[in-house]
Amino acid sequence: MAKPAHFLIRPSPHESRSWIDIGIYLLLMASLAWILVRGSLNLGYHWHWYRVPAYLVDARGAAAIPGPLLKGLAVTLQISALSLVLAFAIGLVTALLRLSASFLGQWLARAYLETVRNTPLLVQLFFIYFVAAPVLGIEALASAVLALSLFEGAYASEIFRSGIVSIHRGQWEAARSLGLSTWRIYRHVILPQALRRILPPLTGQGISLIKDSALVSTIAIYDLTMQGRAIISETYLVFEIWFTVAAIYLALTFSLSLLVRRLETWIRIA
Amino acid sequence: MTFTKPRIGALDLAIGALLVLAAGYVVYRVRIQLNYHWEWSALPQFIVRFDEASGRWVPNYLLKGLLTTIRLSIWVTLLALVLGTLAGLAQVSRRLLYRLLGRTYVELVRNLPPLVLIFIFYYFLSDQIMPLLRVDRLMDCCPGATRSMMTLLLAPPEQFANFCSALVTLALFEGAYIAEIVRGGIESVEKGQWEASAALGFSRVQRMRYILLPQALRRILPPLAGQFISTIKDSAIVSVISIQELTFQGMDLMASTYLNFEIWITVALFYLCLTLPCSLGVARLERALARRS
Repeated sequence: MAKPAHFLIRPSPHESRSWIDIGIYLLLMASLAWILVRGSLNLGYHWHWYRVPAYLVDARGAAAIPGPLLKGLAVTLQISALSLVLAFAIGLVTALLRLSASFLGQWLARAYLETVRNTPLLVQLFFIYFVAAPVLGIEALASAVLALSLFEGAYASEIFRSGIVSIHRGQWEAARSLGLSTWRIYRHVILPQALRRILPPLTGQGISLIKDSALVSTIAIYDLTMQGRAIISETYLVFEIWFTVAAIYLALTFSLSLLVRRLETWIRIA
Repeated sequence: MTFTKPRIGALDLAIGALLVLAAGYVVYRVRIQLNYHWEWSALPQFIVRFDEASGRWVPNYLLKGLLTTIRLSIWVTLLALVLGTLAGLAQVSRRLLYRLLGRTYVELVRNLPPLVLIFIFYYFLSDQIMPLLRVDRLMDCCPGATRSMMTLLLAPPEQFANFCSALVTLALFEGAYIAEIVRGGIESVEKGQWEASAALGFSRVQRMRYILLPQALRRILPPLAGQFISTIKDSAIVSVISIQELTFQGMDLMASTYLNFEIWITVALFYLCLTLPCSLGVARLERALARRS
């Protein structure tokens, strides 16, 4: 279901230069790539693209096994998935606390939200790794997951809250008049309706999570970014490896973006 | 959405008990098991120190880092505003070429992790572009007054080229987000405004300039201010490319003093002092604009 073009960009009927524009666009992109390659050659940079596949798939043994980059991708996905589940749980609890009648609950939720949303993720990561981890006795991977889920949880909670608040007041009143308890109203009336509205933005938050997870490379976790940095410091294949890493991230986030768009149309139809 | 006034209930008691338990556990771990020696008294000297030579108090590592963070954020926002406005306008252009170019930029930047982007841009800029433009020499040819002015507003001469790389890198990154804000603001103006002004005989440029942009500006002001706060936070990432801002100074100090707990608590507080007032300001701005419209 394609959205009709916005009135600002609708072309006037007598001009159709779209093919020319696409041609110019492709030409521009090609010349940009050419400048990049030529410029680097002039500076004495040698491109060694043929060495990159070995870092993706290690085929030296009898059977091909994933190379460092794919291993890093697996770590990235694992950290993202764990943090996503935890972030949703934290987000939901925080949203419910903010909407609860409890004074202390509201205060706690606000304090958590303001702290997390007003400090950089990198500083939170260092704080949890260098300060909280020794106190709680957890290791690097656990602190990475904790930091990421606390960070994304704050944003997820806003999504949950707006979803819950967007449910019409009449639903609450009707459910109350039926004699349902607050827990049952949330469980059977509000959350099932809210979930549908918040699923697309929540998936968007998942994309942010994958991007933000690159920061865990700073606490020596061998995710995709860290593997890339390690290979570069060994081989000096700066541009080849960074472009490959970027392409992997792009493939991941673009496919998830497509999923979000699918989800949005599907929900609108349902 | 409950309709009762906050009062002390069962949930309050449960949360209170949980908080007390958690605090007790943390204190127990820090005091008994880790046996951590707090040395808060060592910290103030890293914020300001007394300079014997000039006989004045001068900012030391942490405060210098904070100042660099502030300078960087302001310059980045200004540059990103220009980039973002151009890219945002390109995306509502009638010409397909401009829309394609705008979208490519925005989608590329928004779908890559900031850290990866910063590494790529940084290598590219500091290895190829900056030597080409001779940015490092720029400071040397300036007269003394200009140089001290630039040191105050931008960065000291020895860090100048590095600072510029970080500045451009971050601006390219934030520009993509500002482009989306600008595009959203322009597109949010009602179609009727556009049609009415067309009926009055305004040209496309005039309609943009006199009708759409003034209305869009009001709507994009609060998210733009929010983006400034994001810029302050995102600037922490450039510590990985050795820009000496607050987070970098924190890491540096931690390596030399081992005062992990004190330093990270202080760094976090510094960021909070910077961003919390901004956040409150943005909230007020939003309310004020909502009331007026």
